[in-house]
Amino acid sequence: MQLCSFRVQGLQRLFLMSSTNTLYLVFLTTGFTVGFGHCIGMCGPIVASLSLNLRRKKFLSHCLYNAGRITTYSFLGGIMGWTGAFTQITTSIAHLQKGVMIFAGFVVIVMALAMNGWLPLGSIFGDGYVPLGTISRVFRKLVVSQSSLTYYLLGLLLGLLPCGPVYTALVAAARLGMDASDTVRGFLSGMGVMLAFGIGTVPAVAMVARLTDLGWLKSRKKIYRISALLMVLVGIYFVVNGIRY
Amino acid sequence: MSDTACKSLTTKRRKLGAVLLVALISHLPVKPIFAGEAKYQEHERCNIHHTACTHDLSGMKITLDITPKPVAAMRELTFHVILSGEKPSYVPYIDLGMPGMNMGPNRVHLKRVEDHHYQGTGIIVQCPSGRRTWCATVLVPGSGIAAFIFDVID
Repeated sequence: MQLCSFRVQGLQRLFLMSSTNTLYLVFLTTGFTVGFGHCIGMCGPIVASLSLNLRRKKFLSHCLYNAGRITTYSFLGGIMGWTGAFTQITTSIAHLQKGVMIFAGFVVIVMALAMNGWLPLGSIFGDGYVPLGTISRVFRKLVVSQSSLTYYLLGLLLGLLPCGPVYTALVAAARLGMDASDTVRGFLSGMGVMLAFGIGTVPAVAMVARLTDLGWLKSRKKIYRISALLMVLVGIYFVVNGIRY
Repeated sequence: MSDTACKSLTTKRRKLGAVLLVALISHLPVKPIFAGEAKYQEHERCNIHHTACTHDLSGMKITLDITPKPVAAMRELTFHVILSGEKPSYVPYIDLGMPGMNMGPNRVHLKRVEDHHYQGTGIIVQCPSGRRTWCATVLVPGSGIAAFIFDVID
């Protein structure tokens, strides 16, 4: 005998009705609640890694990163709503998502190693470093670029990371598309659901980004090394899951 | 390495530590803020991949079947609910969720196809973490809730 232990989210259940407008509110709430669980776990290390090198325009860059992520969510939601076909779309982008997950894992690993000087890329954060290999150049471009636009593009790409709650929201978007009277309405409804969901996730992701700027841990070398090791583990976790996905 | 570069590296390490601490804290099993109290009945684990599963609920038998079998994630599934006893005042519905993890609201709306037989379609999404245990909670308004736990295949 086993008791089903999970608890249905009370607020979501309260609002869970069939009207489209209510669904927007439901998924805004969902984005907010899952943001502090999934998004911090999944995107937190990536957001931290990518934002650490920012020296200026921090707020703008974080906003653009989130805008990129939400753009991808909204576009996917629109496609789901337009076609009403969840499984076909997810199957067709599965390989792309797999690649994004592996890429994200490598980014986290490289950044963590570089932070502790365990990779020659340690000087990647300096201004005078000239990378030799292609991969080094790509990573340098990624992390040294002070162009805010880079963060929008990264958001666009990392919005494709496979994630259970994102899928759930996409299922709802596809369902709305099936119920819509025409494809345009389906597209807009699906996009609306994912837009609401994406906006809901922003506070959690923004909190991680903000915390990276506090620097409230005092200089304890061992802690940083352990942190970097954990970061490497997170990166490996991403890569392994990406390969298995 | 220059003093400035060292200082910059140390600051970044501090930030990295702070973020990791937050990430670790976020994974602690803290009770969700908006957790609602739901009344669940205990049930026997049955193999939904081979057979329909039945659950007793205050004199009523609730049978859940999912097709096609085996039950896989990211596939269009048909959910069948068969109730015994008195016809409920409202149509039942199913909430899909992962035990201990908030995946967002995923409701399967059911329609009556025969007396006491309700049917609807839904999708169980895939979790990239590799976790496969899902809970289909059948809600019969006015009668109660029956939870069916099972593992999906990839």
